[in-house]
Amino acid sequence: MDIMATPPRVLNSLASSSGVKARKFADRTATVVLWCMASSIILLLAAFIIYMFWIGARYLTPAFIFGLPAETSAGGGIGPEIYNSFYILILTLIFTVPIATAAGVYLQEYARPGRFRELVVFSAESLATVPSIVMGLFGLLVFVYLFKWKFTALGGALTLTLLNLPALMRVTQEALSSVPDSFREASMGIGATKWQTILRVVLPSAIGRMTTGIVLIAGRIFGETAALIFTAGLSVSTNSPYDINPFHTAETLAVHLWYTHTESIVPDVDRIGNGSALVLLIMVLVFNISARVGGRALSKRLTGRPS
Amino acid sequence: MIDSPALIATSQKLVATDVDIYYGAFHAIKSANLNMKENSVTALIGPSGCGKSTFLRALDRMHDLTPGARVTGRILLDGEDIYAPSADPVVIRHRIGMVFQRPNPFPKTIFENVVYGPKIHGETNQAKLTEICERSLRQAALWEEVKDRLNRSALDLSGGQQQRLCIARVLAVNPEVILMDEPASALDPIATSKIEDLIGELKSEYTVVIVTHSMQQAARISDNTAFFHLGEIVEVGTTNQIFTKPREKRTEDYITGRFG
Repeated sequence: MDIMATPPRVLNSLASSSGVKARKFADRTATVVLWCMASSIILLLAAFIIYMFWIGARYLTPAFIFGLPAETSAGGGIGPEIYNSFYILILTLIFTVPIATAAGVYLQEYARPGRFRELVVFSAESLATVPSIVMGLFGLLVFVYLFKWKFTALGGALTLTLLNLPALMRVTQEALSSVPDSFREASMGIGATKWQTILRVVLPSAIGRMTTGIVLIAGRIFGETAALIFTAGLSVSTNSPYDINPFHTAETLAVHLWYTHTESIVPDVDRIGNGSALVLLIMVLVFNISARVGGRALSKRLTGRPS
Repeated sequence: MIDSPALIATSQKLVATDVDIYYGAFHAIKSANLNMKENSVTALIGPSGCGKSTFLRALDRMHDLTPGARVTGRILLDGEDIYAPSADPVVIRHRIGMVFQRPNPFPKTIFENVVYGPKIHGETNQAKLTEICERSLRQAALWEEVKDRLNRSALDLSGGQQQRLCIARVLAVNPEVILMDEPASALDPIATSKIEDLIGELKSEYTVVIVTHSMQQAARISDNTAFFHLGEIVEVGTTNQIFTKPREKRTEDYITGRFG
């Protein structure tokens, strides 16, 4: 057969045939289904937030938010727990962010592709999947027993660092790998050193994605309980409810929420539980939004336009 | 290869002798010899994959950044070998600037893009930086278009403007040689003609080496031309000679469009 022969013409009019109609119907159906799936996420979040406010909003009084917790009687507050949540969060970020950034920079910018790099990535990914309760037991053995620190904010923060470091390192590495090589070439091409290139071009270009990674980690730290129960303890500092010494017990809000629902003997468990849950939710939302706004502003300052 | 006295300009700025370039086991450039004259434009032409960009990148030691790439032979800048053990790639790339195929401005403001080089080389005086910025943008024929929005993102500029910004960024460090790797291939005809006019003006102060796949462009803007084919430099001469009286059969076949 002559392969150059013109095939017979199949379309004789401009009106859509039944085959075209079926394909267009499938196209429209797919669009609707995908839209519904995507919208359901927004709907779920909205429903969840509304429900949390519904059950918890009435308990959010100044006495509850800023008050001290009670051991046995009704009417306890959660002031020190909120403080401890932020305290441990900040302490953890102080450890996690620089190490994760440095490790991510090393992996992406310095390590040659090969055995060592693969081993580091494999180790990080394995570490990232360790259940937080296991990491909590590890923290118990090392910080509480071996170092004889007892339950401390520092021990809790270090355990959370171990828990989150691998993930943040991978996020940093991914963020750096998304920076096009053409930026590096342009910088090196006018005589910048590798370090200048990383510091002035690569990191500023990756800051948006890195901020997102830090926000996600921070959300996990806020909500973490299992790793903290065995390391930071189930009570607030005995010296002062707002203790700045990292070597004292530091019960966070998430741990307090778990504790009141399981171990506590106070009569108003529902009030404290629902109220705490709402405060925790608001804290995470506020942190998330402000970190995004801050990250965007930082990105705009560094790059001249929002990321 | 013979240096005929008809070659334009007198002193040799960059001299490549017996340069071989390998990517792993692949022999990309085979004993290339090329003299690039001061204050002139040398065009490197040839079909895709002939090694012209590979050769250009060797002139700036950009292959240092590619794992597995290896360069042998000598490349002299004012008589000094840029591959000598004592030669510092940071200093070499300061003296020899590179403009790439795709415009690659940093995601920073226009001002920060231009003064990036001076800043990394230690200039901190704000007045001086402002002056360098204006001078470089004027040289790159971009000043009039951007002078009112120096603090806007460079990414908001058009492709042609971005490429002139990249040229300004290179000019700001005051290099002696400017290497250009198909600088207009991603641009429309109007932006291309602006870049070409600019190259014509730049040669009074700089030595320009440009890779181009467009023979018309090479004919329009260059003084000397080297024809690359399959990793070898087939023929070097004045642009006029290469395009009117090529000595080599392969050059003639390429120029007349018989392959490429």
